[in-house]
Amino acid sequence: MKISINALKKYAPFLENIPSKELIETIGSRLVEIEEIIDLAPRYKGIYIVKVVKAEPIEGTHLHLCEIDAGEHNSEFNQLENSLIQVVCGAPNVHAGMLAAWIAPGAIVPETYGNENFKISVRKLQGHESNGMLAGADELGFDNEHKSIVEIDPKVANPGDNFADIFDLNDLILDVENKSLTHRPDCFGLLGFAREVCGIFGQKFTEPQWPDYHPCLDLPISVQILNPNLCPRYSCAVFDIPDNTTSKYLTKDAIFLAKAGMRSIDPMVDLTNIIMIETGQPLHAFDYDKLVAIGGAKNAKIIVRAAESGEQIQLLDGKTISCIPEDILITSNNTPIALAGAMGGKNTEIDASTRRVVLESATFSLYNLRKTQMAHGIFSEAITRFTKGQPAAMTLPVLLETIKCLGVTPRSLVDDFPGAEKSNRTHSQVDSISASGGSTAGNHGNSIDKNSAGNDKNVVNSTTSTSENVVKITTENINNLLGTDYSVETIINTLENVSFKVEIVNKTQPEQLKITVPPFRTDIHIPEDIIEEVGRLLGYDNIPLSLPTKPFSGSEISPMFHFKHELRDILSGQLQMNELLTYSFVSRDLLEKVGQDPQNSYEIVNSISPELQCFRQQISPSLLDKVRENLKSGHHDFTFYELNQVTRKDWGLSQDNTPVIKTNLGIVSLGDCYHLKAQILALTRRGLRITLEYSQMAPGSKMAEQYPYLEPLHSVVVLVNNEVIGAFGEVKAGVLRRFKIDELVSSGEINLDAIINLPRNLERQLRVSKFPFVGRDLTFKVASSAAFGRFYSAISNSLDGQGLIYDVAPVSIYQSQLDADTKNLSFRLKFSSPEKTLEQDEISAIINKIIVEVTQLGAEIV
Amino acid sequence: MSELEKLKSELKDLNAEYAKIKTLPPAERGQFGREMNAKKQSLLADIARAEEQAESENISPIDISAPSAPNQPIFSPKFGTKHPLMVELDRVTEIYADMGFDVMESLQLDDEFHMFDSLNFPKEHPARDGYDTFRTSENFIPPAHTSTMQHRALKKYKKCLEDGGQIAVVIPGRVFRNEDADATHEHTFYQCEGVFVSKNATMGQMFGVLKRFFETYYGQSLRIKTQPGYFPFTEPSAELLIEKPKSLGGKGGDWLEMLGCGMIHPNVLKTAGINPEIYHGFAWGGGIDRLAMLKYGLSDVRYFESGKLDFLEEF
Repeated sequence: MKISINALKKYAPFLENIPSKELIETIGSRLVEIEEIIDLAPRYKGIYIVKVVKAEPIEGTHLHLCEIDAGEHNSEFNQLENSLIQVVCGAPNVHAGMLAAWIAPGAIVPETYGNENFKISVRKLQGHESNGMLAGADELGFDNEHKSIVEIDPKVANPGDNFADIFDLNDLILDVENKSLTHRPDCFGLLGFAREVCGIFGQKFTEPQWPDYHPCLDLPISVQILNPNLCPRYSCAVFDIPDNTTSKYLTKDAIFLAKAGMRSIDPMVDLTNIIMIETGQPLHAFDYDKLVAIGGAKNAKIIVRAAESGEQIQLLDGKTISCIPEDILITSNNTPIALAGAMGGKNTEIDASTRRVVLESATFSLYNLRKTQMAHGIFSEAITRFTKGQPAAMTLPVLLETIKCLGVTPRSLVDDFPGAEKSNRTHSQVDSISASGGSTAGNHGNSIDKNSAGNDKNVVNSTTSTSENVVKITTENINNLLGTDYSVETIINTLENVSFKVEIVNKTQPEQLKITVPPFRTDIHIPEDIIEEVGRLLGYDNIPLSLPTKPFSGSEISPMFHFKHELRDILSGQLQMNELLTYSFVSRDLLEKVGQDPQNSYEIVNSISPELQCFRQQISPSLLDKVRENLKSGHHDFTFYELNQVTRKDWGLSQDNTPVIKTNLGIVSLGDCYHLKAQILALTRRGLRITLEYSQMAPGSKMAEQYPYLEPLHSVVVLVNNEVIGAFGEVKAGVLRRFKIDELVSSGEINLDAIINLPRNLERQLRVSKFPFVGRDLTFKVASSAAFGRFYSAISNSLDGQGLIYDVAPVSIYQSQLDADTKNLSFRLKFSSPEKTLEQDEISAIINKIIVEVTQLGAEIV
Repeated sequence: MSELEKLKSELKDLNAEYAKIKTLPPAERGQFGREMNAKKQSLLADIARAEEQAESENISPIDISAPSAPNQPIFSPKFGTKHPLMVELDRVTEIYADMGFDVMESLQLDDEFHMFDSLNFPKEHPARDGYDTFRTSENFIPPAHTSTMQHRALKKYKKCLEDGGQIAVVIPGRVFRNEDADATHEHTFYQCEGVFVSKNATMGQMFGVLKRFFETYYGQSLRIKTQPGYFPFTEPSAELLIEKPKSLGGKGGDWLEMLGCGMIHPNVLKTAGINPEIYHGFAWGGGIDRLAMLKYGLSDVRYFESGKLDFLEEF
């Protein structure tokens, strides 16, 4: 929303004395986030009002050769002998005697300001020198259409005047973040915004005087609200159309609208839009006679109701929409004439033949209009305000003010306000309102008795027809929550400045306050709302800072959070892997590529992209999906891992009825299963010092089904206490082809919830000796089907049995191409006696004992 | 003659002088021998020094720009990498934990109750749409903010209040917004939530705690300021800004919007079974991605979840 500082000054005159910087900072810190500050003054520098003295067609072109008078500025530019300035102009409406806006040489065309900054110069056109340019509304930045140059009313300006001075363009425009005012419908009008600005500067805001309400019913019209939840209040007036011919001159109203980001249409629409910008209350005008004709009844009969699904209405922009059931329709005796809050219908459009007008000022359910906005993609200034929930209290006063500004006499005035029925009004208010034709229960909006119209007895103050909203609070409540020490006077002044009424109920400290909320503040309901007002208006930045006192105690860290931290240290810090983060949502395509059932994934129904559709069941498929592009960018030695949450429908729900979520380690590395195995053992045995069980994945087993992308005979199932907690192995060649990976890749997935609490074997078997170690390499020939582990254990057991400090490291497993039946296993042994330096014969005895024991297993020393 | 040669010739002379010992009377021989030995030891030490020096002088300099000596294998140490967002998340959490906050973790799939109802979002409120939430066909919600955990945190630690203590907890986690990703927007990102409840929590304490956090995180004293904010689950609500720290190139006068915060709405406390007449609290939530982007001067948030080693190996 765009807010003109000059316009604010109209309601808050003290702002004249506040430097802009301070004003903007204070608004930013106490009212609303400012997205952008637009300084208009430099945009309109060097633009003058000029009189076109002579405009003669240049033969054979559409151009005119003009002589213009820029008053006192003439001498600053290239003058003709007659002291005027020559400009070539292509606009069809240029004529002698008119006042125009002249962009002088050296000035920037406002339309281009901030972008290409097009600077006007002196140049030759068709052989004639042209100084600067006569500007159209588009070039001045007020309109999109390039038709003609603007003409200025000689009553408002003289040649030589600065364009910016005449049209109030020495102004700052604040573009504020609407989102931060979502709950403040009152701030979507200058009036409400100015009230807040007064409040934050500690100044009293003077509420405007709204016209009194004199109900009348000269032209018959009735209003019926079928559901007050959809439309809490509907006020309208009927009057003869005022002179609505568009002025040929550029009006100040048009500039006022342009500063708020709107376009000038015709005088009546412009006025209703200006009223909306000032008050926040949108208005809509119907052609009264069309409305009566469409309804088919004798009299105008407005019925406000919910739309039926699929109901059609052609809107003012010519488009026909099909309604959703949440839409609200304004109908004439049930025939739709407007999509409430969004746009009027084509069938009741004001046009040249319009004689009488129905002007609507109403408020609707913001929830419904929000749906309307989304369903039909309508984002007008009006609906932006309606979707914040314009207060019902203001429809009638704003309507009356508009009529006053239009200078018309209403033929009829109707106000249907069913909500007021329930309110706790005083007796006199009840009398006057029911007499006003508002409504009576079960008889909403019947037209008022014609005879009573204009009767002084029925005059109602137009703003006091809602129930009082009272909040009770103590000064202590306020200071205790803010951490401040504000006096009762400060608090009362702060609230009264923005039109709250404050009564001290109990003067003994802490003072008890009864606060009456003004009717336009629909956001205030509870004491905390009042505390926010006090804190914010006086400035949160003025609250003294402190720290809570807390007893000494260690923090309780989520065990999984801590465990992941530890895993990261081992995996990245020690095992030199790369941690990745990938999206929690994956495509169906990815699940299908790895053979997982998309039906088992929680699926997003409103996803922005098919890439983010299913909650992943495992981490590693996402990692697999990242292999190809990293290979392509030249990486050929990596292991990815990710620690993250996964879920599946068949895991069911947890105690609080949300899906069971597990935390998994996903891991993907280039190379075969043995390579990944080494890494996983390093992590578990060495890093975490936990013991897991491993078994071969059986083809066709349940486990193989859980990991359909792993090659079972080249994969390992990981277990804890016979419970499967994960698996790792080589990715099937077919799956790799689907990922377009042409290297061998292994992948693993381990559930961390299953291992986080496993006992850690912290006992260290120190292989430290005072005496020298002996090193020996041994190679055995064994049957090719024999398991490596048997021989490895046998050697270790033998050394252990001989009371030595030792280490056995595998060196190689060699299979000759010439001999398929056997393979050679080589080990590097390192041992030392805890008691003495081993002699040569002792060493030989140790080795021989090993050879004997291993030979008994069918091995042959090489 | 080089220094070394000179010393060696002196040693030769000294050895020759030893022969004199035979010509001396026996009584003087002991003294003479000790003196000669001392001279010889000193000379030998000088020679060893000179020899070492000569060795170093003979060595040709290495090429410090080269990765190895000629004909030697090139050694390149391999680095593992932690994800920069996780490093930041750990650091943020560590500071809060040091300040006395417990740490919980956020869930990545939650429900309407935790995401909206328990946080005082009125039914049908546009704010529910405003958070651009994803939904599953079962109406579960990948949460749009870590505040989805507030209710659980309040319930979990309610007992601390009853025992006369406080609730002080932070909740880091992954959150989701249904919006198109671009250089400054991601649909998947990380936040850290904070919740504090006690009998006398104030807004002044909230700003005090947050200021202390950022001062620790950036290692310098910082100015803070606020903007009004609107969240259905806090009242009053504010946005907190910090003065751009020196480490980020701040020169004073630049402000960074860091997080949303406010006093916990009484309805939120009530829903968790905490009496808002007795207890007050404050809560806040801020983005981790933004902290990391500021710290490393990154301009495109999409790199974080891109899985590109070219990016990750920078960290």
